[in-house]
Amino acid sequence: MKLYRFALMAVLAFFVMLPSVNAQSRKERKILYNSQYNYEIEPIGVGQDGTKVFKVWGYGKKVEDAVMNAKEHAVAACIFKGIPGGNGSAPTPPIITEANAEVKHADYFEKFFEVGGKYLQFIAVTTDGEPAGQDRLKIKKGYKVAIYVQVMYDSLRKQLEADGIARRLDSGF
Amino acid sequence: MKKYLLAAIGILFAALAMGQAKKPTIMVVPSDQFCISRGYSMTFDNQGVKQTLPDYKAALQSDPDLRLVITKMGQIMAERGFPLKDLEQELKNIAQESAEMALLTSSSSGSEMAESPIDMLKRTAKADIIMDLDFEVKKKGPQKYIVFNLKGLDAYTSKQVSGVAGAGSPSSAASAELLLEEAVLSHMDNFNGGLMRHFEDMFANGREVKIMIRVWANWGENLESYFTINGDEKELTEHIEDWLYDNTVQGRYSLSDGTENFMKLEQVRIPMMRTDSKGRERAVDTRSFVNDLNKYLRDNLEITSKVYLRGLGEAWLIIGEK
Repeated sequence: MKLYRFALMAVLAFFVMLPSVNAQSRKERKILYNSQYNYEIEPIGVGQDGTKVFKVWGYGKKVEDAVMNAKEHAVAACIFKGIPGGNGSAPTPPIITEANAEVKHADYFEKFFEVGGKYLQFIAVTTDGEPAGQDRLKIKKGYKVAIYVQVMYDSLRKQLEADGIARRLDSGF
Repeated sequence: MKKYLLAAIGILFAALAMGQAKKPTIMVVPSDQFCISRGYSMTFDNQGVKQTLPDYKAALQSDPDLRLVITKMGQIMAERGFPLKDLEQELKNIAQESAEMALLTSSSSGSEMAESPIDMLKRTAKADIIMDLDFEVKKKGPQKYIVFNLKGLDAYTSKQVSGVAGAGSPSSAASAELLLEEAVLSHMDNFNGGLMRHFEDMFANGREVKIMIRVWANWGENLESYFTINGDEKELTEHIEDWLYDNTVQGRYSLSDGTENFMKLEQVRIPMMRTDSKGRERAVDTRSFVNDLNKYLRDNLEITSKVYLRGLGEAWLIIGEK
């Protein structure tokens, strides 16, 4: 009898917890899409000297907004997250390894990533034009699109080093 | 006005000279496996045991792929502020130096330069960090791909401070040279990420070095002999350990082995900088650190010792006499 009651309680607890675990509210989805940590990247090969090439996803109400968001994500990923390995390329570490750098240098990055900001200087080539097919997904109230980018990784690193945001390999020596 | 200008220039130079830790030298060296498997090796009979050693000179003279990879790596490292020591040039310099040493005599007395067997032994290509390189162009049907393996080794602690390894994607169109260049470009950022972590650790917790304490056979005392400092009578080993505890970063060192004749100290974390008697900030290396221990023993126990340098990260203190 005791065992039967315990099993019933366990089943009830499972159903009570289920929505909180799986359900993703509209608000949560919005937070997720706008998250500065939500970079989806897929390496597509080894870039030319000092560059990285990969496919990156962005979100926006319109396709153009999503493309700009993807460009922003491409640069932000190089700075904060690093690029995973795949398709013949080895993983690349983030330029800034310091924890919570985006918070510490919030003012700098706010200006860096503003609309038409300096970050665009480090994107050399993209598949500009509207992404189509599997690279353009219609989601609730907007689009999720993928673009292929070439980021000037070394120039970006040098810029951040010159601005005192990233540490040089030989600093201190 | 001129006085102020000179003072300002002086301060600027002092500021620039200050706060710079000793920069480690880095050299790319092909791995033993790379050299021996391609026949760039020397075999000799060592008291009945056949021994095979890598022949770096032959490898560098005969393998264009190796030269390509080293050049590309050198270019990337120079751009990151670490121009690499070139093994080929270093070997040439050593040969040239040996020839000049053999011929050079004093113009007044005709004397030769003093050189002990140890001096001769020390005339080898050395670096503080070795980039141990190994790669192979492999084939899978009509396609070629590169297996790349690069280890960053601390020459003194023998620890791997960084490393990358992996296979590139196969291609039937690209040449082996292009694939090799791709492999270097693909892996170097990750390798430098590892180096960066090593340097950050070094600045946070001190440079990790190795120190060996030994005694001369004719000294008459040993490391277990009792000595008194400020009324505290202890074995010499304990006095040395006390000094190390006080002078290492966070008292970090490890006495990994020892007898009455030697102390093997590993994972000794020495500070990167210190202030000298004239108030100047100076970089610390193992020699200067062991010199301070030498001075401590001389001032407090009247013990004379010899400091023998093995490089930026290893020194020996041989107690008893110079």
